[in-house]
Amino acid sequence: MNLDVTATAVFVVLFLFVTWLGFVAARWRKADLNLLHEWGLGGRRFGTVVTWFLLGGDLYTAYTFIAVPALVFGAGAIGFFAVPYTIIIYPILFLVFPRLWAIAHRHGHVTAADYVRARFGSRLLALAVAVTGILATMPYIALQLVGMEVVIGALGFPTQGLVGHLPLIIAFIVLACFTYTSGLRAPALIAIVKDALIFITVFAAIVIIPAQLGGYGAIFASVPKEKLLLPTPEEGSLGTYSAYVTLALGSALALFLYPHAMTGILSASSGNVIRRNAALLSAYSFILGLIALLGYMAIAAGVDKDPAFAGGFSLYGPNFAVPALFLASFPSWFIGVAFAAIAIGALVPAAIMSIACANLFTRNLYKEFWRPDCTEAEEARMAKIVSLVVKIGAVAFILAIPHSYAIQLQLLGGIWIIQLLPPILLGLYSRAFNAPALLMGWVSGTAIGTYMAATQAFASSIYPLTVFGLSVPGYAALYSVAINFAVTIALAPLFDYMARRSAQSAAR
Amino acid sequence: MTAEKKKRKPGWRLYLPRLLFLIPLLAVVWVPFYNRIPPELGGIPFFYWYQLAWILIAAVIVMVVYLIDTRVTHLTKMAEDWEAPGPPGDVL
Repeated sequence: MNLDVTATAVFVVLFLFVTWLGFVAARWRKADLNLLHEWGLGGRRFGTVVTWFLLGGDLYTAYTFIAVPALVFGAGAIGFFAVPYTIIIYPILFLVFPRLWAIAHRHGHVTAADYVRARFGSRLLALAVAVTGILATMPYIALQLVGMEVVIGALGFPTQGLVGHLPLIIAFIVLACFTYTSGLRAPALIAIVKDALIFITVFAAIVIIPAQLGGYGAIFASVPKEKLLLPTPEEGSLGTYSAYVTLALGSALALFLYPHAMTGILSASSGNVIRRNAALLSAYSFILGLIALLGYMAIAAGVDKDPAFAGGFSLYGPNFAVPALFLASFPSWFIGVAFAAIAIGALVPAAIMSIACANLFTRNLYKEFWRPDCTEAEEARMAKIVSLVVKIGAVAFILAIPHSYAIQLQLLGGIWIIQLLPPILLGLYSRAFNAPALLMGWVSGTAIGTYMAATQAFASSIYPLTVFGLSVPGYAALYSVAINFAVTIALAPLFDYMARRSAQSAAR
Repeated sequence: MTAEKKKRKPGWRLYLPRLLFLIPLLAVVWVPFYNRIPPELGGIPFFYWYQLAWILIAAVIVMVVYLIDTRVTHLTKMAEDWEAPGPPGDVL
């Protein structure tokens, strides 16, 4: 592939613009950035509009924009599970998280582990929550780099070898610097630009590309029949039907447990800001649904058969479908805009994820176990340094090991993070549960979920559960968190009883 | 908050409008219902436009529940006064 000079120029200009914005953000809603809740939560002062941009930029990541259409392109209808998934998440956001926000706001919690620590008074359970959060987020940051690498490659840069990795490394150094100086204010401000670019790109794509391809009827007509619908399950199995629904449900339950989503929620200025966004964020879901259809447009345009793109597909696989479609359909300058949208779309979540990891590490590991009496300034400085380390780690990770490992770890991350549902959810609504029971539930859920993924050689998170002779293939995260709940609910009265007994014997 | 600063727990009936959230869930849970091609809409198979349409319907439902909770029953205000007083939510 040759370097597209016009597209690259537009891309670089937009990238420089958001870099400038990232540094300027330090002075936006000026406050003392040497306080962790100012640096790491933007002072909890983001209103409905900023939260909409921030959460939209945070949850609908560059990797989503590349991987969802790639899945639709490669596997067909199953990739559309992202749509019911995004339908289910917002009622959950509305029901659960304003309550968590209120408690976190009142007690100054910065992370989910802070809340669990205070609610159940258990350092061990809080440690489990913090470590799970960090482990699940790290591969997610690495995947944002994959999204960025694909568009840099599509611009015509070589992405192999040390020189080839240079654009990616530079982009991440820039990201690391403005996150260090501005904290959560940087991705919040950049998200506005990112989302505007994404909206422009997607609207152009759904108008211009179908016009070129002869309308939506022609696009769907060119998709192979077996991809267009979910295959009807065989006798004695719920097949792809149960897989589709459990993927949507499990992903929806897991989403807001991710530290970066939690950071976005806790930075809102009120519970009603979160409730309003539960309705308004659907605009992004709709965009995501349209982006998923780009996978079919790529099939209709025949980009995989075009010799000009053979190199890209051999390097990046189906992930190259959307960049190839844009290259085939848009003029050079607009390719620059579209690719910048995706690359900046990687910066925003990567920044928020690294901040979230930094908050977790500082609050729940460093302060809890090493420096219980550290000053607020020391706490904030530690978080800033950790955010740098996390990003260096992500770059090293993606350059040193095959991308398939990052994808497998991300898949495991989904199974691990959903195990935080019992401690966070049950604590909000009931006093009947205690730390030891929740810890046992967490251990069993994590172990069984990991085992289920291992039986699929970490290539798929769909586990073929058999119930009374009926095969119900489903998302391992959902199955394992059900076990987590069952263990927690079964053991809670037992541990309560034991605690009462020992209290009585101590009193005697 | 009322003048006499009464902090009472909101009754369970006030939470009933939230049952509306079951509607979008039920709409997408039963896959065989929408896993088909006809009726098409502008060339788009049912499977696709049905789910895209439910994104919008679900958003409207969330908005309706929000308006009921904040304007009609004042549930969110009551719940927040009862649980934790926070700063008023601003728009920006």
